[in-house]
Amino acid sequence: MIREIFISSLGAFGGTVGFAYMLNAPRNTVLPASLTALLGYVLYFMLYRVAGQSLIFSYFFATVVISAICEIEARMMRMPSTIFLLSALVPLVPGYNFYCAMLALVEDKGAAAASSGMEAVQIVAAIAVGAAVSSVVFRALTRRAASRRR
Amino acid sequence: MQEPSNEIALLCMAAQLVLENGGETYRVEETVLRMAKGFGLEDVSVAAFPTSIFVEVGGTARIRRISRRGTDTTRLAQVNDISRRVEHGGMDAAQADQALRQIASGAGVSQPTLILACGLAAASFCLLFGGTLATFAVTFVIGMLVQAVQPLFSRMEMGVLFGNFTGGLLTAILAQAIAALVPYGNVNAAIIGGIMPLLSGLLMTTAVRDTMYGDLVSGIARAVEALLLAASVALGVFVGLKLIAMLGGVML
Repeated sequence: MIREIFISSLGAFGGTVGFAYMLNAPRNTVLPASLTALLGYVLYFMLYRVAGQSLIFSYFFATVVISAICEIEARMMRMPSTIFLLSALVPLVPGYNFYCAMLALVEDKGAAAASSGMEAVQIVAAIAVGAAVSSVVFRALTRRAASRRR
Repeated sequence: MQEPSNEIALLCMAAQLVLENGGETYRVEETVLRMAKGFGLEDVSVAAFPTSIFVEVGGTARIRRISRRGTDTTRLAQVNDISRRVEHGGMDAAQADQALRQIASGAGVSQPTLILACGLAAASFCLLFGGTLATFAVTFVIGMLVQAVQPLFSRMEMGVLFGNFTGGLLTAILAQAIAALVPYGNVNAAIIGGIMPLLSGLLMTTAVRDTMYGDLVSGIARAVEALLLAASVALGVFVGLKLIAMLGGVML
């Protein structure tokens, strides 16, 4: 179990570093974004595989935490939060499930295509809603802080 | 009244840069409105879609067609920075024009960096799908090769689709061929890892985010793009698997 978590956190970290360079992330954002991705992936792993929470909840909760950290990093480094978010969400984003769905389609396995496609849609929805929740809350908070300062 | 066409061109250029480099639709509109405020323009309307931008100021409008869509977050950060400086009066139109042109003509990521990054991403993702150390090494090579062939397709029509198809094909063939020569373990993990850099599920998340922010047309357009790209990768892998299976049948 520990070994599995260790290996997948390595994978999540390395994958995010690779993706950050592919997306030409500003150099000083690569490390924070990748560490955030690692943390988020481990959180997802604990929730889904270890604690046995539902698929949607695990992805949703991990994304809320990831994007909250990204918003904080973005404000500290004065950059758009998208930069951190794009890299940090990479290990969670279900490219794999979409691929499975498409592969099942070309292999003429309709039922398998439908089930992985649905799973991909569930995950994408959970991630998008999670990111939106954090971003909306942060925007409201900073607006309030800005108006109080005035 | 001063003719605002110069400023409109600038707004368009900024919007184009944000769209071409992977910014969300709301971010495009935010950038334009922010810069317009800095230039003192009133009555500004923007409509942005993944394939085109419309900017209109006081009856004068400009339209730009977007044909290249990628993700380059350094450029996003730079444009964001410029738009904020313009908003607060720290930059006039001429300076902003120069800065934006510089961003647009910048080189982006070099191919060797991309190849290494792609190898690392591919190899790391194979760990998430049950790969071992040997699979990691194999997938690293596959990932690098997949990225190395991509420039061949960059000038082609439908180049991204063919690039993804070839990436999937190459991954499936290599993963199995190497396994036949040197058994390294989990072939499936190697295939999935190899294609992960091509499968931008990010596009799908951006699509849903766009939809939730009310940019319904952009959301649908991006979702279709994501599905099409995933389909071309899957088709490539499928053809690769079939080819090897046929070849194996002939040789045995």
